[in-house]
Amino acid sequence: MSSKQVAMVIDLNKCIGCQTCTVACKTQWTNKEGQEGMYWNTVSTAPGGGTPKDWEGMGGGFRDGKAQAGIRPKQADFGDAWEFNVEDVMFGGDPNGTVGPMEGDPIYGTNWDEDVGGGDYPNSFFFYIPRICNHCTKPACMEACPRGAIYKRDEDGIVLINEDHCRGFRFCQEACPYKEIYFNQTTGTAQKCIFCLPRVEEGVATACSRQCPGRVRFLGFLDDEDGPIHKLVYKHKVALPLHPEYETEPNVFYIPPLAPPSFDDEGNEIDESRIPILYLISLFGPAVHDSLEIIKHERELKRQGGTSELMDVLISRNWLDLFGPFTTQPKDVARTLEGRGNA
Amino acid sequence: MQSRRVADIDSYLDPAAAVWSSEAANRIDMIPAPLGLQPTDHIIATWENRPYGEAEWADLKSVHDGETLAVHISWSCAKISIGASEGFPDAAAIAFPVRGEPILLSMGSSDAPMHMLQWKAKGNETRSVLAEGIGSSLPGPSVSENGKGGWSQGIWSVVFSRSLNAPENASPLSAGMTTLIGVAVWNGTNEERAGIKAVSGDWTDFILEA
Ligand code: SF4
Ligand code: SF4
Repeated sequence: MSSKQVAMVIDLNKCIGCQTCTVACKTQWTNKEGQEGMYWNTVSTAPGGGTPKDWEGMGGGFRDGKAQAGIRPKQADFGDAWEFNVEDVMFGGDPNGTVGPMEGDPIYGTNWDEDVGGGDYPNSFFFYIPRICNHCTKPACMEACPRGAIYKRDEDGIVLINEDHCRGFRFCQEACPYKEIYFNQTTGTAQKCIFCLPRVEEGVATACSRQCPGRVRFLGFLDDEDGPIHKLVYKHKVALPLHPEYETEPNVFYIPPLAPPSFDDEGNEIDESRIPILYLISLFGPAVHDSLEIIKHERELKRQGGTSELMDVLISRNWLDLFGPFTTQPKDVARTLEGRGNA
Repeated sequence: MQSRRVADIDSYLDPAAAVWSSEAANRIDMIPAPLGLQPTDHIIATWENRPYGEAEWADLKSVHDGETLAVHISWSCAKISIGASEGFPDAAAIAFPVRGEPILLSMGSSDAPMHMLQWKAKGNETRSVLAEGIGSSLPGPSVSENGKGGWSQGIWSVVFSRSLNAPENASPLSAGMTTLIGVAVWNGTNEERAGIKAVSGDWTDFILEA
């Protein structure tokens, strides 16, 4: 365990699935050769196949402390980068041309089953789940690497791959239960989310958090009692890790989604969320029940004119309050790297 | 086995060269590298119910000319993998002790390291590697290492070559010397890499003809 741990809380009630975070990350970190199909941040519709496809069935992580077998996701499970025939359509002279992928129909991709969701009308439902590497307290990826090429920084708990030591064996891809590691075929190395390390080191929030128009993504150190993370995870106990049963102790937490009530056969509203609680338990564990009850209770308090620290944090009227200690503006940091956006 | 002394080593650098057919083959029994010796729990968990290291034998031949050593290794591999895009390449390695008495299966130790030449079907890449135990392999000193492989009808044949003369960390060899040789092969189609491989269970005597 590291002395300090950065963490993120993602409020699923506010995510609109706009993919601004995905693009912020893509343009900042994965715009080089070999990274075409690589998204260190994804936003997928739940329930759904996710990214990579059906990752929750690919194993890895730990059970009762014991390492579990894992399947290595292939490029096709993430989805290839597609080339589109924009040039042909715009300048090719065919007035009836339509824009589409160049090499036949794609088979899968990130955000493939957008808004498909689950349930039957009128009780159909879906919500979005943004995901990044969880910078786990017990990183299965790190345990798996025979080269010791993956390490967890003591000063902030960020999990990094030393690409000078990586030999492209990809045991980390098998072991990570969240399938958050990609393989760069050009460099022959494993790559993944770096929690915007060069930004965070300068006190600047991660690009996905700053760019999010929904004010969805809180940042900070786990043990900072004045910051939003500590309040949401420990004080109010509403932010939960995804799939705690994988036992890697993720440091990305989620505010579970509330939903309108379901309808019975006669079309009357019943006292049951449209998102089945069993589904949410399968994602966030049994603690999701209490978390939702606390949020509902505090929301009611606030509605009736009372005060609620929890609601104030979740509403985040002041944008910079989202970011804990990471409130420095990118423009105020001496920029030494070329080609980085002012995100 | 013996490495026979020959006059023109250059004609032996191609694994398909006719000169190799008159050299006697030494059949080495191969075993899957033991699961218990794999360096991490996740590797063990992922591979404990998955077959690997199924090449049962490797045939070794060798010649030298007093300056350069050539080792010819062939093994059966039903399906070729050159490691294109995200695939793993077929590969082979030969090892010699550097000093002390390294245990082959645990890839030596800091007191008794071993030196390897590893060839990969991807681009005929051949590396010099120094190992002081499992998971410790580092680039080894240059020994003018080279490798060339060819696959035909389910058999890989690879010729490794290196200079006999070498820095201390690369197992210096000389005519008349007796040392030990070990081998390993990886089946890329089965995603074999690192410690997931077939190995000779122990060293084989290796005599360089004077
Ligand atoms: S999410 Fe996966 S890649 Fe990230 S630290 Fe955890 S185990 Fe490693
Ligand atoms: S930018 Fe924010 S609102 Fe948009 S998809 Fe990402 S997390 Fe959701």
